[in-house]
Amino acid sequence: MIFVPPKNLVQAVNEAMMTEMGLDDSVVVMGEDVGVDGGVFRATLGLLEEYGEDRVIDTPLAESGILGTAIGMAAYGLKPVAEMQFSGFMTPSFDQFISHASRIRWRSRGRFSASLVVRAPYGGGIHALEHHSESQEAIYIHTPGLKTVIPSSPHDAKGLLINAIRDPDPVVFLEPKKIYRAFREEVPEGDYTVPLSACNVSREGSDLTLVSWGYVHRLCLEAAEEAAEKEGLDVEVIDVRTLSPLDFQTIADSVTKTGRVVVAQEAPQTLGFASEISARIMEDLILYLESPVIRVTGFDTTMPYHELEDYYMPDVGRIMRGIRKSINF
Amino acid sequence: MPKLTLVQAVNDAHKAEMRRDDRVIVLGEDVGVDGGVFRATVDLIDEFGSERVIDTPLAESGIVGTALGMAVYGMRPVTEMQFSGFMPPAYDQLMSHISRIRWRSRGRFEAPMVVRAPYGGGIRSPEHHAESPEVYYAHMPGLKVVIPSTPYDAKGLLIGAIRDSDPVLFLEPKKIYRAFREEVPEDAYAVPLGEARVSREGSDLTLVSWGYVHQVALEAAEMAEGVDVEVIDLRTINPMDRDTVVDSVRKTGRCVVAQEAPSVNSVASELAASVNERTFFSLKAPIERVTGFDVTIPLGSKEDRYIPDAERLERAIRRTADF
Repeated sequence: MIFVPPKNLVQAVNEAMMTEMGLDDSVVVMGEDVGVDGGVFRATLGLLEEYGEDRVIDTPLAESGILGTAIGMAAYGLKPVAEMQFSGFMTPSFDQFISHASRIRWRSRGRFSASLVVRAPYGGGIHALEHHSESQEAIYIHTPGLKTVIPSSPHDAKGLLINAIRDPDPVVFLEPKKIYRAFREEVPEGDYTVPLSACNVSREGSDLTLVSWGYVHRLCLEAAEEAAEKEGLDVEVIDVRTLSPLDFQTIADSVTKTGRVVVAQEAPQTLGFASEISARIMEDLILYLESPVIRVTGFDTTMPYHELEDYYMPDVGRIMRGIRKSINF
Repeated sequence: MPKLTLVQAVNDAHKAEMRRDDRVIVLGEDVGVDGGVFRATVDLIDEFGSERVIDTPLAESGIVGTALGMAVYGMRPVTEMQFSGFMPPAYDQLMSHISRIRWRSRGRFEAPMVVRAPYGGGIRSPEHHAESPEVYYAHMPGLKVVIPSTPYDAKGLLIGAIRDSDPVLFLEPKKIYRAFREEVPEDAYAVPLGEARVSREGSDLTLVSWGYVHQVALEAAEMAEGVDVEVIDLRTINPMDRDTVVDSVRKTGRCVVAQEAPSVNSVASELAASVNERTFFSLKAPIERVTGFDVTIPLGSKEDRYIPDAERLERAIRRTADF
């Protein structure tokens, strides 16, 4: 057996595009510096050499133009994968998302669709400048017609991205840049998919359900270990993975078993996705709950920069406090 | 006291505040010579001239970007977007600059400006003319979001928004621009931002909404015989006056939140989540959300099936009361 070295998350993203471009000629990659430079985080490294400049396109610095062009390509049968350098710079393309990409199937009554992926590194944790650390998933989740996917591991990143590229509808694929190179795991060679719209129970438990996505999911796994060691608590951890459309059944199954829930996210609390999950659980499962759903989140301010972000983003200690609050309610 | 419609009250707010404060200027597409697509700025150019009432090109990003510069240097611009569905081109200015200028400059600069836009469905308009996009802006720290539901509040809240030292998005429910009149004082008065209003007292169930749906909620409260419904008009979406809702739910033990926007990750979800957290032991039933659907708002007469009506609200009231 040939030894396949384990890969980190950004290598897995790269491998997903490398694999799918080899299988499907209609897949094209475009964005700022994705070609010659290989992408600001090296996610598209080697694609230009392998597939040439007709399929790996360096664009001007113009997010709205990138997405607008991708919509046109997709409506005519290509499968564009567009990279935005940072999710904080997606806002100039907001109009293309809301007013066109998300609605082209609806507007044309199914005649056209926009089978495209917009990839962007998102979230804090690398002590970056303004506009480089936001967690803006909520605005895409609230938009009908868009799917929103956030992987938290190399294995899932590759399988989810391949599936996103194959999806007939537009997918916003947000990559937690804090853990691009944080750890490695085994990533199968070649072609495999991880289903969209399926949460992953990444740790089983019976006392409390801990729900999160992206980088914060890694913290939740740590918090679950600490809760077991220090408090003797058996915490079930769920990685949402696809935020829209949401696999609520997996969460519901867990909550009916544990009766207690903490939802953790990096984004500001007001109108964050944690609020949607909380509202849904309390609406559908109130008779199973032994305490209210606790949200552990960023704050309702602009994401601060440099080391101040350490005070903004949830850490294991804050998640532990959320767990204790729920247990001791 | 004159009886005004909501759009007349909005017009009156501009006039009252422009007379009082020279720094207030109005800019937008067709706001001058034409008087605004819904006539919200009618006559302003005649009274205040073309230096204070500025017809702009059709360029939403440019309008609010210009207003930001004006505001930073001491003016109090009020911009009109013709329809809230056309605000996404200005989203980057709002998200990346306007909402953060105070934060970015550590308080050295501020952006006392208002972005007004008619929003919501109900007038049989084409695509991009019927959205309820309050979530996109209320999830943005640094930007206030206000939605009036009556002529009196429209005038007072708009004046409060113009006087506010931070940027305010002011969404006007176009469906009820001319639906009814009420007495509106002639002077310049401000209704405080960030305060919900109990518009009907009751003891059995709390019904929270804003904009057009608040009028539907008042109707549903009358229809729900045998259930004494307290109706709350949220009025300001951000910052959200959760305290008023929590106080009411502690009294009634039951709550329904109604809105026009799609359900997923919406203001109704936020209210339900945060009120649940604080009233868990008072609740006799789950908080139910009555909302639009998770699809793009449809065109023509189909919007009647999308926007919550009094019957849908009444059913939710009964379900919650009977839980």
